[in-house]
Amino acid sequence: MIRQLIRFQNMDRRWIFLGMALAIVVPLLAPINFPFKIDERVEAIYEKIESLEAGDTVFISADFDPASRPELEPFYRANLHHFFAKDVKVVIGSLWPFAPPMVNPWLEEIAADHGKVDGEDFVFLGFKDGKELAIKLIADDVVKAFPKDLKERDTATLPIMEGKRQLQDFALMMSVSAGFPGTREYVLQVQGQYNLDMASATTAVSAPDYVPYYKSNQLFGLSGGMPGSAQYEKLVYDKYGNDSGLINARPIATQALNVLNMGHLFIVLLILMGNVAFFLTRNIEEA
Amino acid sequence: MVGEFFIPHHQYRAMTNEFLEWGLILSAGAFLLGLVNLVQVNLPKVQRRDTDWQYKAIMLVALVVTLVIGFAGGTARQQPGYSYKWFFDYVFVPLNATMFALLAFYIASAAFRAFRARNLEATVLLSAAILVMIARVPIGESIPVVGDYLPQLMNWIMDVPNTAARRAIFIGAALGAIATGLRVILGLERSHLGGGES
Amino acid sequence: METVSLIDLFGIWVSIFLTLAIFSFLYDDNPIYKLAENLFLGISIGIGTIEIYYGVFKPNLIDHLADLRWQSFIPLGLLFLLMMKITKKYSYFARLPIAFIVAAFAGVKLTGEANANLMTPIAESMPDLQASWAQYGFWSWENDGAGVFSDLVLVLGLSACLLHFYFSAKPNRAMSGVSKVGITVLMLSFGASFGYTVMGRISLAIGRFQELLGLDKTEAQWMLEGSEEPLSTMTNVSIVRWMTVVTAVVIILIIARWKRQQNNEPTDQAG
Repeated sequence: MIRQLIRFQNMDRRWIFLGMALAIVVPLLAPINFPFKIDERVEAIYEKIESLEAGDTVFISADFDPASRPELEPFYRANLHHFFAKDVKVVIGSLWPFAPPMVNPWLEEIAADHGKVDGEDFVFLGFKDGKELAIKLIADDVVKAFPKDLKERDTATLPIMEGKRQLQDFALMMSVSAGFPGTREYVLQVQGQYNLDMASATTAVSAPDYVPYYKSNQLFGLSGGMPGSAQYEKLVYDKYGNDSGLINARPIATQALNVLNMGHLFIVLLILMGNVAFFLTRNIEEA
Repeated sequence: MVGEFFIPHHQYRAMTNEFLEWGLILSAGAFLLGLVNLVQVNLPKVQRRDTDWQYKAIMLVALVVTLVIGFAGGTARQQPGYSYKWFFDYVFVPLNATMFALLAFYIASAAFRAFRARNLEATVLLSAAILVMIARVPIGESIPVVGDYLPQLMNWIMDVPNTAARRAIFIGAALGAIATGLRVILGLERSHLGGGES
Repeated sequence: METVSLIDLFGIWVSIFLTLAIFSFLYDDNPIYKLAENLFLGISIGIGTIEIYYGVFKPNLIDHLADLRWQSFIPLGLLFLLMMKITKKYSYFARLPIAFIVAAFAGVKLTGEANANLMTPIAESMPDLQASWAQYGFWSWENDGAGVFSDLVLVLGLSACLLHFYFSAKPNRAMSGVSKVGITVLMLSFGASFGYTVMGRISLAIGRFQELLGLDKTEAQWMLEGSEEPLSTMTNVSIVRWMTVVTAVVIILIIARWKRQQNNEPTDQAG
């Protein structure tokens, strides 16, 4: 018995890998859907955007790469649908080199769905290196930081940029962030100094780090990981789902969230099994 | 940069903004240094036919190909139909995303082998982790009776003990950053200049 | 019906192959994984360089130089000095631009940290117990446990953590008690972090499996560009799944063959 338990504790980890893969594949192929509640932090983002007027302009910093795509793509897409459905103009920049080739096509696709005009209703300014230095410059002089947009047009002459020089001139700022540089650096460099209305959609790994910023009102809303994205997606698609612009939108995070159920249960099961085996062998060995 | 916080004059701002732009350029220059260094380290290995030289050669070829198609595509490189875009979508995206997806499997293995309730601290950590894992997904909310309280309890952990701990870490790190920043500015800290001599 | 070009179809297969190639590391280190890994390194740095050129050098330096903007010649000079780092002989010239960058970051961080990570958390942690009692009472389930109890736990927990970090304090019984409270608060936070990290990592794996199983696509039949007929009677999702299964089998066979070769040559330690 003890020998078996010890063998169980030291089993080839590839069995665990196989179990993990099954815990993901099986619910993907045979989904079981559970309802979920909306977190107040996510609802705060939705409500704030709902309160914007048509014609307002917002700034989005899209700071993520393909590695964090499953968690943040659904939010980014739903967020753009939300802004465009409300006729809010969107200016996007990025501090991550791998973001523009990924997020710009989504922007163009969603803008086309809503019949928005490039340069008037939305613009992608491109990538800017320099981390905190770039953030500081964007905050104080967007046009100096991005003299040209991704399509090499003079940023200052674009209709959407009229009267927009500093981040303060935007109605609000969304930081869709997968780490450094991202939400934390914007809070440090910009939010406090300029008293900017700012929210963050971030990966699950970063979420616990940003909760204090939400608690102290440095962020007006916070969406963490896949659950946050699924909740925001639900809020937006429930309200605007029947509008023509949203026909192509699929709630991708909601699909993934139900797989997460099994994944988490599997990990909890592993922790429990590991501990039971540990205590049984320890007590017997001590005796 | 520090003065900018206290001097709200537009000409002072214009000057610091100019410095910031130089900073962006130099920070990008540091990336170029990394690129050159990578070639400097790996090219001789390929030439000498060191162990695994074939893989280093693949890396260097991939680098050159990406640079060529990137510059050839120019401003339009990210539009559909350009090789750069194809490379990004079908080669870079799966590689980048799967590299990080591997961690899901290793974290599962670590959960089984290393996560033991050996003492009070470890038990507290373990309980918080399990609570978050159950309460953060829809299945946790669907448990009868308990499910109504689990998300609240998890939010409490996030809002109160987590906020207390993070704020303590922030305050500690901020004090450290301020001290280091002052040392750099006052010239007491010069290790970043390298060279070995003081 | 959804039109797809041959090159995109090939791309979808490449994507599946590379995903499985990286996943093959879970079995063991092997040549297919190494190939994918080095491809990844090369391409990452290539894309990084391209995006940095078009994102920074071109708009913020080269275009300015083309307009003969005199201020922009200074960063050009500094950049030139920075590049001296490559040479052994003149690398000390790089100290000037490095000093510039480090000082700029130090200046920017100093004010940012002092403002947002030092002053705000201290100010926000001071509880207004009277207002809290009036609004939530001692503990309110509806508001995630907000109330006087949580306010006190927050401020005492924060103080305990800070005292625990205070390394130069003389160890005595009172201090060790406070330290224990601090550690408990930190453990609760790290536990929550671990839970969130698990969630993040599994989310990424879900994303990869969604793609391998074709679930990132809306189900439709594929039609090759320029053709009038559907590519197959199967839907795009089924085609992707077949691609995945066949590619996985091929990768397994290659690794099995490689393993056998390795076992036959016990002296060869490669891999």
